Amino acid sequence: MSTRTYRTFQALIFGALGIFLLARILEGKILLYINQRFVFLVLAGALGFMLIAQVLLASRPGVEAHDHEHDHDHNHDHDHDHGKRSGAGLWLVALPLLIGLLVPARPLSTAAVDVRGMNADAPLSVRNGEGSAVLDIPSTQWSVLDWIRAFNYSEDLSAFEGKEVDVTGFVYHDIRLMEQQFMVGRFSLTCCVADATALGMVVNWPEASNLADNGWVRVRGVVRAAQLEGKWVPHVDAETVEIVPEPEQPYLFP
Amino acid sequence: MQTAYRTTSIGKRILDSLPFAITAVLIAVAVVNLAGGWMGSLPPDLSRMMDLVSGFSAVFMGIFIEAAPYLLLGTLASGLVETFVSRDDLTRWIPRNAVGGALVGGVLGLFFPVCECGVVPFVRRMVSKGLPMPAAVALLLAAPVVNPIVIASTLAAFGPGLVVWGRLGFSLLVAVLMGSLFGLAGPNQVLSSVSLPAEMPGPILTSIDAMPAQKPPLKERFKGMLVIAADEFFEMGRFLILGALLAAAMQTVVPQASLLALGQGPLLSVFVMMLLAILLSICSTVDAFIALAFTGAFSTGSILAFLVYGPMVDIKSTLMFLRVFKPRMVIYLVVLPFLMTALIGFLVNIL
Repeated sequence: MSTRTYRTFQALIFGALGIFLLARILEGKILLYINQRFVFLVLAGALGFMLIAQVLLASRPGVEAHDHEHDHDHNHDHDHDHGKRSGAGLWLVALPLLIGLLVPARPLSTAAVDVRGMNADAPLSVRNGEGSAVLDIPSTQWSVLDWIRAFNYSEDLSAFEGKEVDVTGFVYHDIRLMEQQFMVGRFSLTCCVADATALGMVVNWPEASNLADNGWVRVRGVVRAAQLEGKWVPHVDAETVEIVPEPEQPYLFP
Repeated sequence: MQTAYRTTSIGKRILDSLPFAITAVLIAVAVVNLAGGWMGSLPPDLSRMMDLVSGFSAVFMGIFIEAAPYLLLGTLASGLVETFVSRDDLTRWIPRNAVGGALVGGVLGLFFPVCECGVVPFVRRMVSKGLPMPAAVALLLAAPVVNPIVIASTLAAFGPGLVVWGRLGFSLLVAVLMGSLFGLAGPNQVLSSVSLPAEMPGPILTSIDAMPAQKPPLKERFKGMLVIAADEFFEMGRFLILGALLAAAMQTVVPQASLLALGQGPLLSVFVMMLLAILLSICSTVDAFIALAFTGAFSTGSILAFLVYGPMVDIKSTLMFLRVFKPRMVIYLVVLPFLMTALIGFLVNIL
């Protein structure tokens, strides 16, 4: 592959990567991949890719100048190449683009819970003590994440007993549960989907077995501390369980 | 020399056959998804498979999108060194003896905040600029931890204490030991044929210093730097992407619970957390927050081992090492720090 062709493809891939990332940021779908605090980093990366694409296009050697490249390209295209400028190499770097465009961005499903496991008591990715930040707002506004965090960092769980709960999450039938129970779960992303952790609260609901895995529900009721495999975790005595559409932002960010 | 060539050709053969197969699979997935959209739903088995595929895609894209800006930063740093640092600058600052060089290399990361994706191209460039091998290996292993961003994020997660200082101290210790060991071998024995800094006009390492005395104007040098960064992004990005693919595949099929259930003892827990570090392949700038999630269930020694070993070696960085070092040296780079870190974690647990 001549230097000129290779540079053109490089520029196209960089440009497309930049546009792809920028588009995902603008439509908000970037949050299906990474935690919101890294969006600025990705934005900077996207702009960087586009700038480099521009410079690559401009610094291509001319068609006729192929034999005596006196461009500012210090990579002399000789025999020591070892296939560095192969089409396969280009394809591999374009692979994230292909996957990103052809395989639709969908949130993790309960299929991922089966592999990752469901946590009801994980010490979350926050410094000890930060968990109390939500204690000031009414308990009906707490997310699954807030509840688990609160239970994890509190000495006295009886303080939560009887508090009102109003949380939304997906249904998961954990094998550790009884017949009239299910888990209302959310994935929490610390950095990117690679570290997604499934968090769930046990819900007591007579018709639990009628709910399908992976469907989204809004659960209202009161909380009480109960044991799951010997650990104290929040249980919800549900008053209503309402089927709702999947929220715009299915992940929680600690 | 022989082994290096053989690896290149095996890698090349795999690369040659994969593109068509994978592109075809991706298009098939897109078609099935479209069909599912038309029909309203897919047969349960197929729908479950699509769930796994989209989960795989999400994890892969997550790792790539997270790591790409850092890799870009590393390649820019490498371009910067190539364009603006001369061979003399480096040799003046780095001590000649192995241990001294390794010590300086170990703390160089404080001034070049690159994490484990960016550090590989950066170190290779520094080697081509005459950075001695002990300093280079110490820099390679220590920089992803001994750098301001990572220190800040570890402090934020754990607060000042054993974990933070232990992470810094033990990472430096392992890096300096490894650097001193690598000082025993010459560059020819360590580096792969494409990365040798020698006089031969390698594809990427032809230095600007070798060019005529007068230097081009600043704007041109800046553009040259970006072109170098682009080339290196394409070279190293391939390995980042292969690593992310592997990590995503492992995460889709290997149940974490079974791994975590494996070990709780003072030694076994250390191994489990180190395996998890390799498996997760997360960036060192955030792994402290991930480690925090395991503090309840795991011993301090194993958490430390996760935080020390994870940034040095994981799936994607190992693949990038293969580009720079001879295969045998990559085995040393992966295995020796593993043993050292395991020993450290075990000692922390029983003391």
